[in-house]
Amino acid sequence: MSMLSPYRVLDLSDERGLLCGQLLADLGADVIKVEPPGGAPARAIGPFLNDTPGPERSLYWWSYNRNKRGITLDLERPAGRELLKRLAARADFFIESSTPGRMAALGLGYAELAKTNPALVYVSITAFGQDGPKAHYADTDLILMAAGGPLVLTGDDDRPPVRVSVPQAFLHACGDAAVAALAAHHERVRSGSGQHIDVAAQASVAMATQSYVLAAPLKSPEARRVSGGVKFAGLEIPLVWPAKDGYIAFTFLFGTALGVFTRKFMEYICAQGFCDEATRDKNWIAYGEMLFSGKEPLSEFDRIKKLVAAFTSSLTKLELLQLAVERGFLMTPITTIEEVIRSSQLQSRDYCQSVEHPECGRAILYPGPFAKFSATPIQYRRRAPLVGEHNREVLAEIGVTNAELERLAREGVV
Amino acid sequence: MAQELPLADVKILDFMWVMAGPAATRILADYGATIVRIESPTRVDTARTLQPFHDNTPGPDASGLFDNCNAGKLGISLDLGNPRSREVVHDLVRWADIVTESFSPKAMRAWGFDYESLRKVKADIIMLSTCLMGQSGPLARIAGFGNMAAAISGFHNLTGWPDRKPAGPFGAYTDYVAPRFTAMSLLAALDHRRRTGQGQYIDQSQAESSLHFLTPAILDYTANGRIESRVGNTDSRFAPHGVYPARGDDRWVAVVCTTDAQWRALASAMKRDNLRDDPRYATAAERLVRRDELDTMVAEFTRTLEAGEAETMLQAAGVAAHQVQNSSEIFADPQMHHRGHFVQVDHATLGPTYVEGPRAKLSRTPAQVRSAAPSVGQHNQLVLEQILGYDENRITDLAAAGVFG
Repeated sequence: MSMLSPYRVLDLSDERGLLCGQLLADLGADVIKVEPPGGAPARAIGPFLNDTPGPERSLYWWSYNRNKRGITLDLERPAGRELLKRLAARADFFIESSTPGRMAALGLGYAELAKTNPALVYVSITAFGQDGPKAHYADTDLILMAAGGPLVLTGDDDRPPVRVSVPQAFLHACGDAAVAALAAHHERVRSGSGQHIDVAAQASVAMATQSYVLAAPLKSPEARRVSGGVKFAGLEIPLVWPAKDGYIAFTFLFGTALGVFTRKFMEYICAQGFCDEATRDKNWIAYGEMLFSGKEPLSEFDRIKKLVAAFTSSLTKLELLQLAVERGFLMTPITTIEEVIRSSQLQSRDYCQSVEHPECGRAILYPGPFAKFSATPIQYRRRAPLVGEHNREVLAEIGVTNAELERLAREGVV
Repeated sequence: MAQELPLADVKILDFMWVMAGPAATRILADYGATIVRIESPTRVDTARTLQPFHDNTPGPDASGLFDNCNAGKLGISLDLGNPRSREVVHDLVRWADIVTESFSPKAMRAWGFDYESLRKVKADIIMLSTCLMGQSGPLARIAGFGNMAAAISGFHNLTGWPDRKPAGPFGAYTDYVAPRFTAMSLLAALDHRRRTGQGQYIDQSQAESSLHFLTPAILDYTANGRIESRVGNTDSRFAPHGVYPARGDDRWVAVVCTTDAQWRALASAMKRDNLRDDPRYATAAERLVRRDELDTMVAEFTRTLEAGEAETMLQAAGVAAHQVQNSSEIFADPQMHHRGHFVQVDHATLGPTYVEGPRAKLSRTPAQVRSAAPSVGQHNQLVLEQILGYDENRITDLAAAGVFG
């Protein structure tokens, strides 16, 4: 048995909202992806299998539609909307990500669907939210990273701020949407009533700033970006350091909690001959305050950064990782996707899952379950649906006969 | 009358600390869960030492990060190394639906609070452990922060300029990604328990959860053998697509044309009407080829404008654009204001301070930030008396034994 197996989800989202339904599907729900006839525009998003575009070759589509069934419905036609309403009447969750107001204009807004199914949990995922002065702004991942806060903090200080090369903004929103949907569901069990959930990606990505988005209301200085680190009140703190064969992420910081790690690290590199004892014995707990107050000159911190870098550069990424495991240093290698997938850590946990794609004559390795559940492990039951793959099966469940289905297909409704 | 919050009947005993774990239970607190958060009276929660600080003044309660991750929870100080803390923990486990922890593996076992031990106290308990790399495997012992899990999961190598070293996403990136997976795992497990009576143990690797934010790049490797790397601000589908200079020091505006119509609107806005219908820029494919040329052109245009002015002008023309906002600008952003993103709470020692608001708007049972984050041990008396029903003698006795530090 899986955790959400009793529940049915109608997923009308475009490329912005696909992960939300997949999260519920991974947790066991029966998620029906609804696409326009001919297939969703998201199928045109790459990368593509063997770099050959095509609706059944989009790795983006495969990434975020696993474990869903798929049907096609033309919602521009009354007959298509009628079928959707019949499906919604028996659904537990409804997910959409269109421009605010569009679903209502189609007669498929929350108010309309709740009339026949008051228990429906209706989830809207948009860039800026359902209403407000920017609700109708044109958006993309980059626009939201700019609007929500992570962008200004990221990148080299002599170049424009930079985003994560793989779009992230709507994934944050989809995660928040899935949690909210399950919270509303929990309440529905008590009350019998559903509700409308409004998730805005701008707000969701603000949560990806380590709370620096709060600097102004707290009357604290703004943080500034610096390559692989952060600049705060004039102090440049690197978090990316060189290794002999690449780079590592290394938390070399101070204070009551982190200074302890730094002290341990300095003792080690001193023993290895990378610094003198006076440097080793600095007050690493109070060091940050000493720098901020000017008691310790920034030039001295620059000297220390150089000798720390000399140490990290003397070892390979894997040697440094080994030290981190053995000695509790706060460092990990900066890895490529290939190194991630081939890592002994993921392999020893059987993380990646092979999913069959019979149409392509092969199986593809996917990132595995997002958590390991002892009683109800997440299962990858099916690859992303082909265009209209489950039309017959799903429509039969609401009493559409084969003859009706053929008529609907002739008319282009499905 | 106010509706009962969605999770009003959910009780969580929370051993989590620093960032990723507490951020997850913060979400559930906003939806109404009662969360008793255990904090060590001696070992300070790292998050309490991190910027930004209330009034820019460090102090045990002043971290905006800590306060943002822990608003709405009850705080109790317990010395878990003290043998007499066990009876308190066990009583809290009997009270709770869910136990969460984010220590490095082994810590809970050392205290006797691992899942096998706790299910003997309460058979249907749901327990979740979250750490950087998971409970097993050669790197299970790695402790630290989300920047480390992000680096070892590929995020750093995928963020920055192709001709420079990796910049990495800002800060402890997986600590922002993983909490959603934590929270949804708990709610799904709770629904399963309600229907079946069965509790369970959840092992969350923050790295493994976060890799779902890189799936297309992972499949590009597992299906195509391509190892994607950082590409600055370029995009495979759209051009122009970039962050362009605005008037002033370190001021920027993001501009993207996702459709041919947006390009024509941008050309008009830039007063380049001659390029509007020029076939060399008419389609995305053509524009992608001339990406660098377009970037120069857009930068020339935005350079003369205030960032906010460029945003307003371009959005009015239907072009995707936004000033690159820092905290002050987001705090002043009319949309964030409209959504009530910044919420003032009354903190026991700081007075009025700010945290971020709930993650989603629920129409009938809206989430709420019900209180500020607790000081260490702020709710000892409340938890012991009202939740556990201890009498004054027992509380005094435990305090004398040093259980609360």
